Amino acid sequence: MRINSTKLKNLRNLLKRNNLEGLIVYDYTDIKYFLGEFFNDGEAVLLITLKNIIVIARSLYESPFKKKFKEALFISEDKNRPLALVEEAKKLKLKKLAFDANKEFYFAAKIYLKAGFKETSSLVSYLRTTKTEEELKLMRKATQISMTAFKNIQKYVKTGITELELKRKLEDEMTRLGGEGLSFDMRVSFGANTANPHHVCDGTKLTKNTAVLFDWGAKYQDYCADMTRSFWFGPNAPKEYTTILSLVKKAHDKAAKEAKYKMSGAQIDKISRDVIEKASYGKYFTHRTGHGIGMQDHELADISQINNEPILDNYCFSIEPGIYLEGKYGVRWEDCFYMTKKGIKQIK
Amino acid sequence: MNEKLKQFQQLLKKEKLQAFCVLENDTIRYLTDFFFYSPDDAYLLVTQSKVYCFTKKMYFADVKRKAPYLTLVESLDIKDVCKKTSKLKNKAFDPTLAPYIQGTALFKAGFKTMPNFLELAQEVKTESELKIIAKACHISASAFDLFKGQLKTGMSEKEGAALLESIMQKLGGQGLSFETILAFGENTANPHHVSSDRKLKQNEPVLVDFGCKVKGYCSDITRSWWFGSKVSKKWQELYDLIKDTHDYAATLAKDNILAKTLDTAARDFMDKAGSYSEAFIHSLGHGLGLKIHQKPFLSPKSLDLLKTNSVFTIEPGLYYDGKFGIRYEDTYVLTPKGAKILTK
Repeated sequence: MRINSTKLKNLRNLLKRNNLEGLIVYDYTDIKYFLGEFFNDGEAVLLITLKNIIVIARSLYESPFKKKFKEALFISEDKNRPLALVEEAKKLKLKKLAFDANKEFYFAAKIYLKAGFKETSSLVSYLRTTKTEEELKLMRKATQISMTAFKNIQKYVKTGITELELKRKLEDEMTRLGGEGLSFDMRVSFGANTANPHHVCDGTKLTKNTAVLFDWGAKYQDYCADMTRSFWFGPNAPKEYTTILSLVKKAHDKAAKEAKYKMSGAQIDKISRDVIEKASYGKYFTHRTGHGIGMQDHELADISQINNEPILDNYCFSIEPGIYLEGKYGVRWEDCFYMTKKGIKQIK
Repeated sequence: MNEKLKQFQQLLKKEKLQAFCVLENDTIRYLTDFFFYSPDDAYLLVTQSKVYCFTKKMYFADVKRKAPYLTLVESLDIKDVCKKTSKLKNKAFDPTLAPYIQGTALFKAGFKTMPNFLELAQEVKTESELKIIAKACHISASAFDLFKGQLKTGMSEKEGAALLESIMQKLGGQGLSFETILAFGENTANPHHVSSDRKLKQNEPVLVDFGCKVKGYCSDITRSWWFGSKVSKKWQELYDLIKDTHDYAATLAKDNILAKTLDTAARDFMDKAGSYSEAFIHSLGHGLGLKIHQKPFLSPKSLDLLKTNSVFTIEPGLYYDGKFGIRYEDTYVLTPKGAKILTK
C-alpha cells in the first residue's frame, strides 16, 4: 500500500515553509491520518522528513508493517521510542527537526529538546482542518448513514424503552447501514437528563410527555458524523419547551445561513448566541456554538467566543446551540457544515 | 472520598508528597469515577486532605451529583494549579502522562517528575474494580459462545466483527476495549490484523481478539479455531501446543515474582516441544484496567512484578506468514491461590 501522497505532499510543503527537515508525529489520529488504521494509541512514533518516512514502533508490528508499507523505514523499539528516534536522526544527519508541543508527553519532549529539536504547534492539526474532496465524501457518507438510521429507529421511541436500549437500537441500525463505529459515545436522554449536555445514558425509561434528546453520529472510514435532535414525546409539550426549542432552531438556522468565508469562529458563534441572548436565555446556553470535526469528533475550527481565527475553505464544523434548564429539560439542535468561498454548505 | 482516591492519598503520605497533579483523562476517570467527555476537560490536584478538580462550568452540576467529594474550580489554566500549590513543598506529576506544555509549567512551579507513578498506582485493583472487570470479562466470554455459532461462510471479517460487537452490547457491554480483530485464513498470521472485507470460506483458520468495556474497564480475550471439519493436522498440533503453553504459564503466576519469568517459561515450554518459540513474535501478556495495555507487562525485558489483585492477560501465539497464526488468550486476576481466570 502507498501512503497517501496528497497528504504527504501538503505536509512537506508546510515543512519547507517552516524551514524544517522533518516532523515527529506521535498523536494517534495524526498517525492514522497518514497511514490509516494500523497502530494502537501510543505504540508508534513517525518521523516524516522531506524525503523519507521513518517509523519507530513495538517489535510486534515489524513484519505486518514491512509487508504493508514498503516505502517507509521501520525501526523496532519496545522501550524508549523518543530516544531511538533521536539516534536515528543523528545517523541520517538530520538537524532541523520539530515535534508538536501540543501533542507530546513531557518526558518525550524533554528528550527531543535535549537533541536540539524545535517546538512547533499543531502542524498536522492544521493540515487536517482543511479537508480534501475525498475526505468530504467520507463525511457525507457518515452523515447520511447517521440520519437514515435515526429515521429508521423512530418506531422504537415508545413508552417503557430505556435510554440504553434506544441507544443500542440506533447503534445497531448505523452498523447495519454500513457505519464503522461511533464518532463518540452517543447520548439518548429522556426528561430532566436532557438538561445535562453531557449526560451518560442509563436505565431511565421513556414516559409520556417528556423531553427527548439524541446526540449521535456514525464513523465511516475513520470520518465522523455528529448531529443532535430534540423533541417532545407526547402531545402536551409545555409552552416553555416549545419556546426554547424554536429559539434554538432559529439560532442554528441563522448561523447556518449567515456564516461567511473568513468570518472568525467567534463571529459565527455570535450569530447564534445573539438570537438566544435577545430572548433572555443567554445564561442557559452554557457551551460554544460548535466545534471542528473530521477524523475526530472534536478538532480545530472551534465556533466559540474565544476563536478569532478565520474559518476558511473546506473547514468542517458543527453548529449546535442549546438551552438547558437544570432539573426540567434541555434542547439542542446540531448539524455539520463546511465552508467554501461561496459560503457555508451543510454536510448531508 | 471514594475508595481509590483514599488509596491514592495514602500513597502520597507514604511518598511524603503534599500534592500530586493528574492531567490525563483515563487516570482522572480512574481516580474520581467521573468521566470527562473530552481528554483536555479537567485537571486533578490531589492533596492529603482535599481533591481539587479544575474544569469547565458545563460539568459542575454533574460532578456535584456524581462525585461530591471533588472540590470544583472553574479554570483550565495550569497557572491556577500552580498558584493553589505555591505554598506546598513536596509536589509532583507523572511526566509520562503529562502533556508537554502543562508539564513544563508545573516543573517551573517546583513540581518534581515521578515517572510511571500513576501506572503503579493503578496496578493493584480494588474489590469494586475487580467486580467490574469480572463482569466485562464474563460478557465477552459469553458473547463469544453465541458469536461462534452464528459465524457463517460468506461473511466478511468486518461483518463478523460487527456481529460480535453487537452481541457484546446486547449482553451489557459498554463499548470496546479496542478495535475487534477478526481474521480469516492467511490473515490470522498477522497479530495486529485490521478486519477487512475478506470473506470466510469453509475449512480455514479463524482468529478473533476482542473485548468489551464495562464502566470504562477493559476485558481481553482471543480464540482461534478451525472453521470446517477438515482440520489441518499441523494447525491442530500447534493449537494444542499453544493451549498447553497458555495453561502451563497460568499455573506459574504468584505474588511478587517477576512477570518476565512467565514469558521465559512459556518460550522454554514451546522449545521443548520443538524450536517453536521463534514464531512467538510478541510478549506473553500485559496488564489491563481502564487502559488495554498497562503494567504489569509479561515480556522478556520487563522488570514488573506480579502482585496480588493485579489483572493481566496470558496470550501465547505462533505466526507463520502467508499461512496462519494461532493465539489463545484469557484475562486473569492474581489471587493468593494463584491466577484465576476471568474470561469465562
